[in-house]
Amino acid sequence: MTSELYLLGFGPEGWGPVLARAGLMTLAVSLSAFLLGTVLGTLTVWGRVSGNPVTRRIAETYVVVLRGIPDLLVIFLFYFGGRQVVSLVGTALGFEGPFDISGFVAGMLAIGLISGAGQSEVLRGAYQAVPKGTLEAGRVVGMSRWQLFRRVTAPQAMVTAIPGMGNQWQSVIKESALVSVTGLVETMRQVSIAAGTTQEHFLFYTAAAVIYLIITTLSDQVFRMLERRSMAGYAGGSH
Amino acid sequence: MTNNLPAVSVKGLHKSFGSHEVLKGIDLAAHDGDVISLIGASGSGKSTLLRCIPMLEIPNSGSISVGEAHITPRDGKLSRADERTARAIRRDLGFVFQNFNLWPHRTVLQNVVEAPMIVQRRNKAECRDEAMALLEKVGLSDKADAWPNQLSGGQQQRVAIARALAQKPRALLFDEPTSALDPELVGEVLKVMRDLADEGRTMIIVTHEMGFAREVSSRTIFLHQGLVEEDGTPEQVFGNAHSERCRAFLSGYFDRA
Repeated sequence: MTSELYLLGFGPEGWGPVLARAGLMTLAVSLSAFLLGTVLGTLTVWGRVSGNPVTRRIAETYVVVLRGIPDLLVIFLFYFGGRQVVSLVGTALGFEGPFDISGFVAGMLAIGLISGAGQSEVLRGAYQAVPKGTLEAGRVVGMSRWQLFRRVTAPQAMVTAIPGMGNQWQSVIKESALVSVTGLVETMRQVSIAAGTTQEHFLFYTAAAVIYLIITTLSDQVFRMLERRSMAGYAGGSH
Repeated sequence: MTNNLPAVSVKGLHKSFGSHEVLKGIDLAAHDGDVISLIGASGSGKSTLLRCIPMLEIPNSGSISVGEAHITPRDGKLSRADERTARAIRRDLGFVFQNFNLWPHRTVLQNVVEAPMIVQRRNKAECRDEAMALLEKVGLSDKADAWPNQLSGGQQQRVAIARALAQKPRALLFDEPTSALDPELVGEVLKVMRDLADEGRTMIIVTHEMGFAREVSSRTIFLHQGLVEEDGTPEQVFGNAHSERCRAFLSGYFDRA
């Protein structure tokens, strides 16, 4: 097998460039899904704590549904189901077919929606950990709701949320492999192709594992750094 | 015209928590330069009254005015317009909490410049200079870059006072500012407050420090079960109160002390 390592290189027969591109695609789909999940998760927390019974119901239903069905099913629902919906709407609006929805968009929406449910749990815990007195102090100087969120709630909640959000991010990276079923050429899809073409299954799936490990390890470093930075003021004597 | 308006005025204030009526119709007016101490047993409603002024608690009925801003909540709720007025009122008041409530994710200096810079959107350099001067005034200019958690309770409360002053408030409200402090730290906070009173600041102070209330305030109000029971100069309230309850409350205090 050692002799076959050139297959992973950047030479004429090497799969290096396409694997690198696939790794970046994994990163791109994960990042967009994670950010979508952060927005959804934040909205969900807001829906739960805002005191409006309707938004609370919607938020709770969303979390229950998304946590209760398999991730792969959600992706199928968005990719195949989404295509159907798009073509129905498109035909109704009088556009010519054929209609399609990209694997990237379907994957991002599906994983984002799944991650949003998970992130909302982390963010809710973090929100509840913000000392209520600091919120009153913000209100009493005349902050608007948005200023209060941006200047007082979010920065404090982030400190508590960072480790949990790191775990959510790891999950998103791993779930992104499921998006390969849509044909999107990310890491998982690309190594399947390469393994099939060269018949070097062990080599390429090991390479994929390494790619995922590189991404998760580097991300871990980033989250650790964020955690260290955000802890300023809490450690006492660190400044 | 404006000078004749009280800095802070409260009329017919009622506040209930559930079925428990805490304030049963309170009138209070603080004119510019007044230093009013609110005293009374726990549960008398003095903290609730103070918290109603910047709408940290929404009164069930009654009205609040700060300068020209006027607000009349109904059924413990604020309309959208009321909400705007409430924010204007809050910008015009400095509030000091029992538990300091500094923002732990911001340094001492950042805590002090936050309201003028972010809420009042004033010039950054100017806010910074003013904040440094205020920290100097409360004796903490060397702590500007420290984090709140690195300070003692007394120091945190002095930062909180500087933070309230940075708003250039029409009046300062203090909610039991020394009750959460270790006894040996009470003095440094009271000294800062005494200096503010000497400067002619308008202050309303909920306190259990009877000695301080007697010496520093221009007016002392004794609350009992949600009503004003005694209202007069400290000499009169502490020396010769009309109300039997007020005399009993105070004698209980000074016997213990």
